[in-house]
Amino acid sequence: MQVKVLFFGDAADAAGTRESPIETADEATAGAAMSALIEKHPALARHRLLFAVNEEYADAATPLADGDTLAVFTPVSGG
Amino acid sequence: MDHVELTTDPIDIGAAARRFVSDECGATVTLDGYVRRYTRGRETEYLVYEAYEPMALKEMEKLIERAKAEFEISHVGIVHRLGKLEIGETSVVISVAAPHRRAAFAACEWLIKELKRTVPIWKKEVYAGGEEWIEGETPEPR
Repeated sequence: MQVKVLFFGDAADAAGTRESPIETADEATAGAAMSALIEKHPALARHRLLFAVNEEYADAATPLADGDTLAVFTPVSGG
Repeated sequence: MDHVELTTDPIDIGAAARRFVSDECGATVTLDGYVRRYTRGRETEYLVYEAYEPMALKEMEKLIERAKAEFEISHVGIVHRLGKLEIGETSVVISVAAPHRRAAFAACEWLIKELKRTVPIWKKEVYAGGEEWIEGETPEPR
């Protein structure tokens, strides 16, 4: 499956990019995609990371579908 | 009728505070959150805010729904500024209009606390020695 990946803030700095599309196995989870991303961008592993799938908070168990958008970021700090 | 907005322009606090004056309301409580110069003994030169914009707007709307379920309030406005902000510039305005002020105060306090916990916006602090993305306190947003 093709998954669009977006990075924000410190995660974008760690990954060295704001976008990093990946291919996953069918029925992959967000957790599996994260493992692939950490292999591709090892500096990510130094950070506590949260993620969202299609603009909703997700966790490692959240299933992905072809064409989904996975966003990866550090704990939020707005306000 | 509520209002959520992300902008790179300076925020007009007065307009935000008076947006929701309506017959059933007797008070609007407005929070003007702005950039502080000193944090944990370090002097800030400026801040940079970044957002996952479509998700931030959705989360702000969800916050307003939750606030309305929790407090007896009528209208909520949340405006957050993005980009480079100098010391003293407003980063966020939350205005809550209600029939009675007590609910408006309580809801406004609750909204800023929850915004800081759940809305996908990040702040980078730039200071004399370097820069640092600030990490929020709570990793689990639920």
